[in-house]
Amino acid sequence: MESQAPRVSVEGFDGPLDLLLELVEEKKLDIITVRLGDLADAYLVRVRAMPQLPADEVSAFLALASRLVLLKARSLLPSLEPLPEEQGESEEELRARLLEYAIVRERAGQLGARLRAGERAFHREGGTVDLPPRGGEVDALASAWSRVLALATRERDEDIVAPGERYSVEQRTLEIEALVAAQERVSFATLLGDAPTVGFAVVTFIALLDLYRRGVIDLAQDELFADIVITRRDARSAQT
Amino acid sequence: MTKAELGRIAGGAPRAVENALAELAAAYEGTGLRLQRSGEEWQIVTAPQHAPQVAAYLGADRLRLSAASLETLSVVAYRQPVTRAEVEAIRGVNCDQTIYTLASRRLIEERGRKESPGRPILYGTTWEFLECFGLQSLDDLPRALSPEGALVLEGAESTPSKLG
Repeated sequence: MESQAPRVSVEGFDGPLDLLLELVEEKKLDIITVRLGDLADAYLVRVRAMPQLPADEVSAFLALASRLVLLKARSLLPSLEPLPEEQGESEEELRARLLEYAIVRERAGQLGARLRAGERAFHREGGTVDLPPRGGEVDALASAWSRVLALATRERDEDIVAPGERYSVEQRTLEIEALVAAQERVSFATLLGDAPTVGFAVVTFIALLDLYRRGVIDLAQDELFADIVITRRDARSAQT
Repeated sequence: MTKAELGRIAGGAPRAVENALAELAAAYEGTGLRLQRSGEEWQIVTAPQHAPQVAAYLGADRLRLSAASLETLSVVAYRQPVTRAEVEAIRGVNCDQTIYTLASRRLIEERGRKESPGRPILYGTTWEFLECFGLQSLDDLPRALSPEGALVLEGAESTPSKLG
């Protein structure tokens, strides 16, 4: 409601036709039969009462005023010959314009009523549906889940049988370092062994990250969820 | 979405698509949704009778237009495609500002240019216009109510060409 369009109107009239139509309606006259010249005086009274206006606004009102005055003069002096320079619309043409404008105003009123009734439609905002990134496969997701399940089950079994083993990252780091020093290349699956517990897997993983950070090893994974290959970084490992 | 697009995606002849659209429109009857057509474009929108609830959900403000904007909009709606000069001839005032306002609110849009001196821009209404006024298509525009309005219409229809 704050964003209402700046209304270019004069004393509540949206232009000269609006004012003329208003006069016809005020006097309960019929647009079809009214002698438009008869409205000249009332029209001029209204125009004179208007406050200071921008020039182009005034000119539109004055142009119609002069037309009305001419029509009035003609109706008073039917014998008046058209002046040679006299051009522009006849009374009938002006009437046709006024009628057409009356229709426009009526339709505008109907549209306005629809707006006020507020019975509008809404479309769905936003365009396309966001699809997940490509590359993920349902099978990979399923096998990852089954691995997690397997780990969880093992963990639970061990919880029941014996207290969980304790691993230290430091210890595991040394082990892996030694292994890599000996073989140059080893896979993550091998490091985990056949039946890793969650604790063992986490410690092994952290140890790998630490070794990678120190530049001892390189890590490579060919594709999503594939096994991780650990290789020795020769130059560095010699120094360490 | 246009009828041609629908035909291409669904693999149907235009005639079949039209039938399917008619079926869909019938199926939506009495539900919260309905089909809206703007030229060749079809769209699924919410039904106007549920506007208060949908507006509340979306936090949408009600559209308000001045009398001048409504007049200009009604000329464009009923006379489209129409030039600014033609609108001004009918309203008897400068319509620069109101046309700008209506276009910036996406209620009207440019529809190419008229092949006449100066090649003036032609304006027509948008599908947002249909939406804001709850019209299913332009055929839904309210007709002039007064009997003489209908009578007058034929005579008045020829005036813009004289004036324009």
